[in-house]
Amino acid sequence: MPGPHPYQLVSARSPLVWPRRGGSLSIFEIGIFVACVAIAMIGFSQNLQDIVVLTFLWAGLALAWNIAGGYAGLISFGHAAFFGIGAYTSTILFLRLGLSPWIGVWCGGLLSAGFGAGLAIICARLRGPFFILSTLAAAEVARIGALNWASLTGGPEGLSIPPVAGIANMVFASKTPYVFLMLAFLAAVYAVTKGLEASRYGYYLYSVRDDVDAASAAGVNPLAVRTAAMALSAGLTGIGGSLFAQYFLYLDPTFLISPDLSFQFALLAAVGGLGTAIGPVLGSFLITPMSELLRSYLGSQAAGLHLVIYSALLIVVMLYFPSGIVGALGRISGRGRNL
Amino acid sequence: MITLGQLVLSGIFIGSIYALMSMGLTLIFGVLRVVNFAHGEFLMLAMYGAWAITRLLGLNPYIAAIAIVPAMFLFGAIVHQIIVRPALDKPHLVVVFATMGLSIFMQNVALMIMTADLWDVPPIFDHSVAIGPFYFKAELLVGFVVTILCTLFLRWLIRSTYLGKAIRATVQDGEAAMLMGIPVQRIFLITFASGSALVGLAACMMMPLFSVFPTVGLNFVLIAFVIVVLGGMGSIEGALIGGVCIGVVQSMSSYYVAPAYGQMFYFILFLLVMIFRPNGLLGQKGAATLGIND
Amino acid sequence: MTAILKVNNLSCRFGSLLALNDVSFSVDSGELVGVIGPNGAGKSTLYNLIAGALSPTAGEIVFDGRSVTHLKSHQIARIGIARTFQIPKPYRQLSVVENVMLTAFQREKSVGRARALAVAILSEVGLTDYVDAPVATLTIGLLKRLEVARALAMRPKLVLFDEIMAGLTPTEVATMTKFVGDLPARGITVIWVEHVLYAIMKTASRIMVLNRGEIIANGVPAAIARDPAVVKAYLGEEMNLA
Repeated sequence: MPGPHPYQLVSARSPLVWPRRGGSLSIFEIGIFVACVAIAMIGFSQNLQDIVVLTFLWAGLALAWNIAGGYAGLISFGHAAFFGIGAYTSTILFLRLGLSPWIGVWCGGLLSAGFGAGLAIICARLRGPFFILSTLAAAEVARIGALNWASLTGGPEGLSIPPVAGIANMVFASKTPYVFLMLAFLAAVYAVTKGLEASRYGYYLYSVRDDVDAASAAGVNPLAVRTAAMALSAGLTGIGGSLFAQYFLYLDPTFLISPDLSFQFALLAAVGGLGTAIGPVLGSFLITPMSELLRSYLGSQAAGLHLVIYSALLIVVMLYFPSGIVGALGRISGRGRNL
Repeated sequence: MITLGQLVLSGIFIGSIYALMSMGLTLIFGVLRVVNFAHGEFLMLAMYGAWAITRLLGLNPYIAAIAIVPAMFLFGAIVHQIIVRPALDKPHLVVVFATMGLSIFMQNVALMIMTADLWDVPPIFDHSVAIGPFYFKAELLVGFVVTILCTLFLRWLIRSTYLGKAIRATVQDGEAAMLMGIPVQRIFLITFASGSALVGLAACMMMPLFSVFPTVGLNFVLIAFVIVVLGGMGSIEGALIGGVCIGVVQSMSSYYVAPAYGQMFYFILFLLVMIFRPNGLLGQKGAATLGIND
Repeated sequence: MTAILKVNNLSCRFGSLLALNDVSFSVDSGELVGVIGPNGAGKSTLYNLIAGALSPTAGEIVFDGRSVTHLKSHQIARIGIARTFQIPKPYRQLSVVENVMLTAFQREKSVGRARALAVAILSEVGLTDYVDAPVATLTIGLLKRLEVARALAMRPKLVLFDEIMAGLTPTEVATMTKFVGDLPARGITVIWVEHVLYAIMKTASRIMVLNRGEIIANGVPAAIARDPAVVKAYLGEEMNLA
């Protein structure tokens, strides 16, 4: 029975205006990008710039999650593990070996990608809820490991990066360079996503997601595709984690590898529109500022209120608008098709 | 040797209580093919309820069960109708996200209303029970006995009553069951609500032994998942065996290895089971590898 | 004529059920072989074994001179064996042409050329009007044709058709029969499991009859129609002489 579907098909009759899967950039996307650059250049107050930094970063991370969850159909509620691995790797390399974070970021990404690939291979035969549970378990193993392997990770006290500004350290005195850094990250992950969509590898992902038996019969190797998707997704998440470490300057295992964080990546992608490139971006643009503003206005007084709102939002979205913002906009404008 | 015996037996007893907590989860999966990611939060809710009745009315959690179990049945029915049922005919990830969202929702509502503090109830019995050379908290033994009785009751229900037969028919072939006149939607509702009620009973058994706080569900739900996977999704007896295994593993590893790493043990156990025997010890064949294809 | 496919003593057991019992046959390059048999005869099992979805408990499968008995589905597809599914399995979130492109990627690595190949194949099976349509809008008859298109987009050496006529109108049956009948001339060997006997009787050079996991007859269509063992196996079965 056709109805809105989380993995929606967005294919436009008017490709210039509306994002089109695998197509060149639409006016809509270019407009958003220009707006982002403009926002980055405006000298907001520190608080607002903080929100912009986080909005861009979470958008990039939601996009990274989406490669596995939206395109490949590998729903993971344990991606915070990769986030944490990336953060810890670059930070430990910096603090212990003096390796510049500009290189450390890639090391973090590679290590996370490796773990992502390992997880995909281990859980290869699992489908549906069993796979999701395995990602949860794997993330918990990572969190407990980080919490207790004090000699490496500093244990519950975490790690601190000295706030010594300098380009070589990837530590900046004002927030503006961070805004551009996170925007660059977002743009890069977006480019990767669009590139994937336009290539046959993107199609391999869809096929394995939609019907793995038919995909096999078409010559697609499901294990290889899933592993590659997970590795890419995990690696990009790890890079995001390293960037976050450089911004926040403090690594706390309970926050970094928490189920709440994993949930957030999935939430942003789902609300925005799974399996589309612009979806997770819109999801973050909608939710992150609201979340941060709520947090700052209500403070600790209503700890958890923002999560109450967002989880309720997720339930409503999934039951009534499973194709997210992108799907809803598409239906309104008559351009998107939802199955 | 006495220590080993003490550890193993107390592991069995606490494991049985964990099993009781997991039976609802496995029942729901067996019949509805849905993993309720908010299962831990159902436990938390029931524990808060038991705590409230105990502290505010001066009763004890066992008596509170008289109210909590039906209340949880009702709660489960409501959640099923509002959240699970609309999601059932949609692609599987809808129900995953919806129950995950419910989980986070309930955790944070609890956080707002009850704060992050730990609440507990006073012990019910003032002395331990001696069995041979071993000593156990009486609450532990009560939990064990209740679990065994519950398992026997459920076995009887599934095997001998019409409801049980209807449930088994629905599990085997939902469409055929519908054609036979079995009200499958109502079976789903009853199953979900019953699973919820079981969690309520487990909460009352657990309240004298554990404190309740908003994220207590997270601790226990992961244990419940491991037990259900170990015992096999959909098998009540499997949950009991799985629970006992986990209880013993936890008991021994907390004593012989550092308690902090103890938690890691059963996640690793979980991942090992997922890799080598994803159907668990007594589970439905192919459950893990069939999954649901969107 | 060289044998493109050789099946030797193939058996497949599921617990206590012996789905295929010591089955041996060969198919020459350029043949169109029909496979018929009552439900439960083992036809699907045979296909799943050849296509790599199942592993046999005994026996071997040789394709183009090499043993492929234990290869996985995607490896089987890559060496040139295509298959359709009895219950169509389209990629539901993709359009019709994108469904075919997946298989076309076996031959054309660029998205543009794969799409062109897919469009060409779709016109061969008469689905040109549906090129960009979402799969969910297709009727069963069209979905069956899509299955055929997907299989052919691979430019296979051997194609396994699984009941592609079910649900088709008489006109569609006639068109598809002719289409499949022409495939051997284009260099594609065909094995065809089918219940619509008219189609196979018309096009097959040879028909194999399966019953209870064994081949009970193997010969030209006229001989099969008269074979008492075959008639007996089908006693009580509705013969579809569309």
